[in-house]
Amino acid sequence: MSAGAPILRVAGVSKRFRGLLAVNDVSFAVPEGSICSLIGPNGAGKSSLFNLVTGYLPLTAGAVWFRDRRIDGQGTTAISRMGIARAFQIAKPFPELSVRDNVRIGALFGREGPRDVASVVRDALQLTGLSDHAGQQANSLTVGFLRRLELARAVATRPALLLADEPCAGLNPTETEEIMGILRQIRANGVTVLLVEHDMRAVMGISETIFVLDAGAKIAEGPPDAIARDPRVVAAYLGAPAEG
Amino acid sequence: MLAEGIRAHRWWIVAAAVGFAVLLTAPAYLTPFQVRVGQLFLFSAGLGVAWTILGGFAGYWSFGHTAFIGLGAFVAGAFELHVPLGSPVATMVAGTALGSLACAAVSAVIAYPILRLRGIYFAIAMLGVSQVFAELTNNVDAFKGTMGINMPNAVPASMEPQTFFYYVFVAATALTLGVAFWVKVSRLGYGLVSIREDEDTARMLGVPTERYKIWAFVLSATLTGLLGIVYAHALGYITTGSVYRTDFSLNMIVYALLGGIGTIVGPVLGSALMVWLTQVVLGRLLDVHMFITGALLVAIVLLAPHGLVGFARKLLRRGAGGGA
Repeated sequence: MSAGAPILRVAGVSKRFRGLLAVNDVSFAVPEGSICSLIGPNGAGKSSLFNLVTGYLPLTAGAVWFRDRRIDGQGTTAISRMGIARAFQIAKPFPELSVRDNVRIGALFGREGPRDVASVVRDALQLTGLSDHAGQQANSLTVGFLRRLELARAVATRPALLLADEPCAGLNPTETEEIMGILRQIRANGVTVLLVEHDMRAVMGISETIFVLDAGAKIAEGPPDAIARDPRVVAAYLGAPAEG
Repeated sequence: MLAEGIRAHRWWIVAAAVGFAVLLTAPAYLTPFQVRVGQLFLFSAGLGVAWTILGGFAGYWSFGHTAFIGLGAFVAGAFELHVPLGSPVATMVAGTALGSLACAAVSAVIAYPILRLRGIYFAIAMLGVSQVFAELTNNVDAFKGTMGINMPNAVPASMEPQTFFYYVFVAATALTLGVAFWVKVSRLGYGLVSIREDEDTARMLGVPTERYKIWAFVLSATLTGLLGIVYAHALGYITTGSVYRTDFSLNMIVYALLGGIGTIVGPVLGSALMVWLTQVVLGRLLDVHMFITGALLVAIVLLAPHGLVGFARKLLRRGAGGGA
């Protein structure tokens, strides 16, 4: 697939938590209309980077651009209204509300502009296979359905860019494949996807470009087959190549 | 959204309309004592619902909402005392409007700093605000907090005072319920509920959390102030101690807890239960009145932790499950 102009540009971004440099001078660009992935071992700084892009944490240095607009320093609400949504690593539903109302809140707010709330909710539920569970209270959902709810609520905000933080964590291979199918459909609907995921098979199967972080710094960037062969990545993350 | 909300809650609206029709005709067949109990029920229900806009919808529990009862009452009282208009009713209406506006303005000023606190810190800060307001009322000469203010008598000669104020309470409580309903079914209401459930996630979804919390705080304070002003007029004479009452603040929470937090009907049911228990059932058992009330509250909270509404929903679910 041909790469579009960057929808997201992270330029020289660093984040320091007192003595710890969690993100160290990271730069990359996500082409519009693509599915890209951000991988790295635990503690590499992937979720911190998501927190920086969404305005949840302030940068220590660098800049974040969304299309032609610099967004670092903006609040999370403002960034959401520009069209960046996030699905959390640890599902954070509104527990006392129904699945439908969870998604409805996404549809009522999120990206600025006119919308038909009822149809946005219906489409998001349908896309994620939650239509039959719409009336169910969110705190009664299984892990698999909670992951779908995270995606449904994020999609209902009508984003241009979706940051999906480990949407397959805790899922079995069948469920993981279903989530990958949903992400492909989200992209087919015109939404760019930046994925953080530990399931390498899923990442390699879905990504056009992969960015690899290690100890807060970017160590590689490229298409999946090149990343799989990159010795720095193999050493830092994928493990030593099997002998023979 | 309002039309959709009305459609979704049409049976509640019908029930409320029937309830208000009964309330409007009630003074014709109730004794004066019962009319006064009716006043207390309407005042309590209104307070519980006004508190719910902030505490129930947004999850910001205030332990000091009596601040706005006192503020509204004293601003209205001082105005009516010093600036009498042509007729007593006009004076009362102007005083009520000014007192309510004062609550809106003061709550808007303190909203931003105080709503940066969450949970128990916010609750206790509001308790502090009510204490500060009470002290100011005592020490600012215009308010005559320790000496007290005689509220001008606006009761028409053709009506009994308890009946007149009963109807004023009906109007104030109806307005409070109407505003709460509008909030609940609007975008604001959904935003507030998302704040209650998880404020950080709400912000991440684009909910303007700061602005919505301020709206909820100002609406809740203004309606509480309005009800406080009506209460002050019904009392006829107010002092700091009669309107800045910590038990008012706590009762608002009790009504919502008993009936069902986060709902509009909950505080109405909770206040009906509490007023009936304290005024009618236990009214003649003064020696053990507080003991029995406390024990009953503990029992109800243990048996129905989600309030009467939650208990009813549970029964309905069980009924539906049994029938399946």
